Amino acid sequence: MEYDFPNKFQVIVVGTGMVESIVAAACSRIRLEVFHLDYSDHYGGLWASYNFEGLQKFIKEVKTNPSMKNVVYNLQEKWYINEDSSEEESKQDSEDHKTDDGKAEGTKKIWRRADFASEYRKFNIDTTPKLLFSRGLLVELLISSDIARYTEFRCVTRVLTWLNDKLAPVPCSRADVFATEAVSIVEKRMLMKMLTSIVGYNEEEMNNEFKDWNDKTFKEYLTHKGLTPNLIHYVLFAIAGGTNSMLCLEGVRECKKFLMSLGRYGNTPFLWPMYGSGDLPQCFCRLSAVFGALYCLNQPIDSIQTKTEEDGKTVVELKCKAKTLTCDHLVMDINECPKELLSPEPEEESSDISRAIFITNETIMPSEKEPLTLLRFPPLEEGGNAVTVLEVGPATGSCPKGLFLVYFFTPKVKDAESDLKPYAEKILNLSDGDQTETSDKPKCLWSLYYNVKDTNGSVRSGIDNVHVCRGPDAALDFDRAVEQAKEIFEKICPGKEFLPRSYRYNELVFEDVTPGPEFQREDEDADGDKQ
Amino acid sequence: MHGRLKVRTSEEEKARKEKERQEKLKHFKYAMQKIFTKRKNGDQDKEQLDLTEKVLSSNPDIYTLWNIRREVLIYIRKNIDSEENISKLYDSELNLTEYCLKINPKSYCSWLQREWVLTTRTDPDWKKELELCNIYLKLDERNFHTWDYRRFVVSQCKPPLQEEFEFTTEKLYDNFSNYSAWHYRSKMLLELYPDLEGGRPIQDNHHKHELKMVQSAAFTDPDDTSAWFYQRWLLGAVKETIRVVTFTVTPQKTIVAWNKFVSADYISSQLKVYFNDVITEGKWISCNEHEYDNLWIFNHNEEIVENINVKIEHKTLDNENEIITCEKYEPFVFIGKNKICFQNQYSESVMKELNEQLDSCRQLLALEPDSKWTLLTTTFFLHCINASLYHKEVVENLQTLKKVDSLRAGYYNDLISKWNIEQQLPCDYENNSLHYKNGFKEKLTSLPHLQYYSFCKTVDLSNQDLTSCILPFLKKLQICEVLDLSGNKLTTLKRFPNLNLEVLNLQNNHELNLEEIELFKEKHKSIKVIF
Repeated sequence: MEYDFPNKFQVIVVGTGMVESIVAAACSRIRLEVFHLDYSDHYGGLWASYNFEGLQKFIKEVKTNPSMKNVVYNLQEKWYINEDSSEEESKQDSEDHKTDDGKAEGTKKIWRRADFASEYRKFNIDTTPKLLFSRGLLVELLISSDIARYTEFRCVTRVLTWLNDKLAPVPCSRADVFATEAVSIVEKRMLMKMLTSIVGYNEEEMNNEFKDWNDKTFKEYLTHKGLTPNLIHYVLFAIAGGTNSMLCLEGVRECKKFLMSLGRYGNTPFLWPMYGSGDLPQCFCRLSAVFGALYCLNQPIDSIQTKTEEDGKTVVELKCKAKTLTCDHLVMDINECPKELLSPEPEEESSDISRAIFITNETIMPSEKEPLTLLRFPPLEEGGNAVTVLEVGPATGSCPKGLFLVYFFTPKVKDAESDLKPYAEKILNLSDGDQTETSDKPKCLWSLYYNVKDTNGSVRSGIDNVHVCRGPDAALDFDRAVEQAKEIFEKICPGKEFLPRSYRYNELVFEDVTPGPEFQREDEDADGDKQ
Repeated sequence: MHGRLKVRTSEEEKARKEKERQEKLKHFKYAMQKIFTKRKNGDQDKEQLDLTEKVLSSNPDIYTLWNIRREVLIYIRKNIDSEENISKLYDSELNLTEYCLKINPKSYCSWLQREWVLTTRTDPDWKKELELCNIYLKLDERNFHTWDYRRFVVSQCKPPLQEEFEFTTEKLYDNFSNYSAWHYRSKMLLELYPDLEGGRPIQDNHHKHELKMVQSAAFTDPDDTSAWFYQRWLLGAVKETIRVVTFTVTPQKTIVAWNKFVSADYISSQLKVYFNDVITEGKWISCNEHEYDNLWIFNHNEEIVENINVKIEHKTLDNENEIITCEKYEPFVFIGKNKICFQNQYSESVMKELNEQLDSCRQLLALEPDSKWTLLTTTFFLHCINASLYHKEVVENLQTLKKVDSLRAGYYNDLISKWNIEQQLPCDYENNSLHYKNGFKEKLTSLPHLQYYSFCKTVDLSNQDLTSCILPFLKKLQICEVLDLSGNKLTTLKRFPNLNLEVLNLQNNHELNLEEIELFKEKHKSIKVIF
C-alpha cells in the first residue's frame, strides 16, 4: 500500500456493489470508522454502469479473469453492423459534420462502429438494470436518509405487455383506464374495482379474503372474480409481473406493491435512475465519504483470515500487498469471500439470471415524447418464465441521441441467448441487414447476452464477524438489496438507527467562529427603534 | 478547535424559528403602520408601492394593500408621460402578482389585481397570460382560480375555441376529477358544435362522443362526482321549446300556464289572445309577481259571456304557430289545452348510443346490484330513453336507491313525485275533468308542474307526504275552489299563499298548531277551513 493511512478499522467493506455501499453508508453515518475498497478501478461491481469502452473492458475482463468465470458466463457479444472500412470511415466522417448541423429531422442516422467508439462516453450501460417502485424500500430510504439529494430520476412513462402477438400499453393508473380504448366500459369498471379492492386490503383483511386461496393460483382467483381474459392478462402478467402458476396471495401482494406506488411521481409506479442503476451505489458511497469513510479503488486483497486477539476479541485481518489491515467487521460479496470464512452448508445449485442488452436505432413503440418503458412479457411457452424488458433512451443519459438501450432479463433456464432471443425477436429486428431496410421493428445494432450467478437463494453466511452480501437478484426492484443491507447493519450494530436523515449545511452551527457584523437594514436603523 | 460542526437540536431549531417569527411580526406591524399613516397623509408615491410590495410579498392576501396600490398606481400613472415608463410600471405590478401567486396560487386578490392591471393598461399581452394559465394549470389542474382567470383571458384575446376545447381534453386525460374542466368544456361545446339544422344544442356526433367519454370516466371511478354531473348535463342537453300548456278563462280570471319560465316581454311579443276573433290587449301579471314565471294572469276588459269564443296564438321561437282554442267546460269556464310531452327528444344516433350505454349499465348492475351510481345512471337512462315504457322499472329503482342511499331518500322521493306526475298529466289532459288527484300509490313529496293543473276547480292532495315547504307552490292553483290537504305533514301555514278558495281541508296534519289555524281563519275569512 503506497499511501499512509490507519490500519485498524471498525468496519471494512470490500466491493462497491449496492448492498456493500448501503452498509458502508449506514455504518459511517453513525460514525463507525469505515474503510471501503474495491479491487477494480470503478464503483458498483456487478451493479455497475459502463460507458461503451468500459463495457468492452468488462467483457474482456470476464473472458480473461478466471475468478469471474463462475459469476458472469455465456457471454455473447454481437455486432449487427459490418466492420467499418477505413475509406468509408473518412468519407462518412466528413458527411457526419453535415448531419449534425443541417440534415432534416426524420431521416435516420446510419450508425457505424466508429460512431460507437467516438460517442462511447455518452453510454451508461447497466449490467444490472433495475427500476425503483415510487413507494418501494429504496425510494423511502433515499428520502428518509436524504441521500436523494445526490440522485436524479426519470419516471417510467409507460408499462407495456405482449398481448395477442403485439405490444400493447397496459392501463394501470386511473387516468390510463379512463383513456384506454382497448377495454370496454364494463371491463373498465371491473378492472378498477379489482385494483381498488386490492389496494384497500390491509394484512388482516388480506388473510381473511384469501384464506381459501392459499394453494390456488392468482389466475384462478382473477377468473373466479369474473375478469375477462384481457383484464386477467393485464393484472396477472403486466401489473403483478407473474405467470399462470403465480400463487394467489403472491399475486395480490405484487399488485398491491405496484398500485401503492402509483400517483406519487408520474403516471406509472416506477422511477429509473438517471445515468443508470450503477449510479445508485455511488450515491451511498458519497454519503459514506462525507461522514468520514475512507475510499480506495484498485485495491485487490491477497488474503483474509479471522484472528483472535489477546483480549479474546475476534478480528478480521486482510492483507493487501504489503500492508495488513484489521477490522472488527468485514462486509463483502459472497462470490469473493474465501470458502473457509463461510458457514459450512454446501453450495447449492444457484438459480442464475439470463440477461441481454440490445442497442437499437429506435423505440419498440413510437410515442409522442421519448418513452421510458417497462415491458413485461408473459411466458411464450406454457410453464416458462416471464421476461422483463426495460427500454431507456437518450433522455436518461444512457445512450447517445438516436439510440435506445433495451435490457432483457429472466431466470435462467438454458443459457442467456436461448432464454431471451425468442423474446427479443418478437420486438426487435435482429437481422444482419442494412439499417436502411424498412422494418416495423427497431433495428438492433449491437447485442450482448450473458448469464449472472444469483446467490440470493444461498443459505450460507459468513462466520464470526464476516458478513456476506449476495449479489444482484432477478427482481425488478432493489428491495432485496435494501433488506440485506439492513440485516447486515443490524448484525454489526444491533439497535442502532439505520441511515437517519443526514443534515444539510444550513442546519449546522460552526462553533468557535466569531460571527461577522450583523446585517441591518437602513430603514430599521432610522425608524425601527422609535416604536 | 475551529469550525467544529454541531447539528442543531430540535429545541434550538424551535427557538430559532420562534425568534425569526417574532422578528417578522415586528417588521410586519411596523410596515403596516407606516403604510396606513402614509395613506392618511395622501402620500401616493413610490415609497408606498415599495412598502406594500414588501408586505404583500409574504402576505399576498391582504386585499386592502392591493386596493392601496391601485390608488397609488392610478395616481402615479397620471404623472408619467412616456409610454415606455407606464408599461414598465404595469409590468412590475404583474411581476409582483406573479410572485404572490407563487406563494399562494389561490389568492383571490392577486388574481384580481392581475386582471385589473391587464384591463387598465393599453398594451396587455394576452398571449403571455394564456401561457401563465397553462403553467399554473400544469402545477394544479384543479385550481379554479386559474380556470376562472383563463376564461377571463380567453374572453379578451379570443384564441381559437377549438384549441381551448382540446386543452380541456388534455387536462381531463391527466385527471378527470375536474369540475372546472368539464364545465369549461360544456360551455365550449355549445359554442363550437351547435346543431344548427336540427335545432339541438349539440351536434349528434359530438353529443355521442361526449357521452362516451364521460361514461368512461364514470365507470373508471364511480365515486368521482364530477363525471356524473357532466353526464347529467349531457342527458339534459336536448331541444327545448317554450310552449303554452293550458289556458283558462273565467269571468274572474284569465290565466296562461307555460312549460318554462317566461317573461312578460316574451308573452307580449309572442302571444296573441283573441276574444271572438279579435285581438285583445291587456296586461300580463306573473302569479308570483316575478320577472319570470310559468303562470301568468291576463288583465283585460273583455266581458266573459256565455258563448264567447276564445283562442290564443303562440309564435314559438322556431317560428312555429300554435293555436289553442278554448272549450267550454262549465258555464262561464273556458279552457284550452295544448298537447303535452315530457319525453326528452334525442336524435336517432344519440338514442342508439344511449341504448348501448344502458346495456353496459345493466351488465354492470348484474355484477354489482347495489352500486348506487350504476343504479341511478341506469334509471336516468331509462327515463331519458322512454319514460312511460320504463316507468315501472324507474320507480322500482328509485325505491331501491332510497334504501341503498338513504341519505338522499328525500331526493329520490321527489323524483318519484315528479316522474309520476309527468306520467299522469298527459292522461289528465285527455279528460274533461276539472279535478286533480294523484293517481299513483306513491305519495307525493313535492309538487312540480303544478301550473299544468292551474285550470282545476277541485284539487285533492289528501293523504300525501307533503310538508309546509310546498305551500308557496299552491299559488299556481289560481282557479281552485276546493283544496284538500288533509292527511299530510304540514307543520305551519305561514307561507300559505293568497288564493280564492272556498273550502280548505287541513284535517289530520298532526303537527299543525291550533292557534295558527285560528289565525289563518281570521285572515282568510272567506275560506271555509275544515280541521
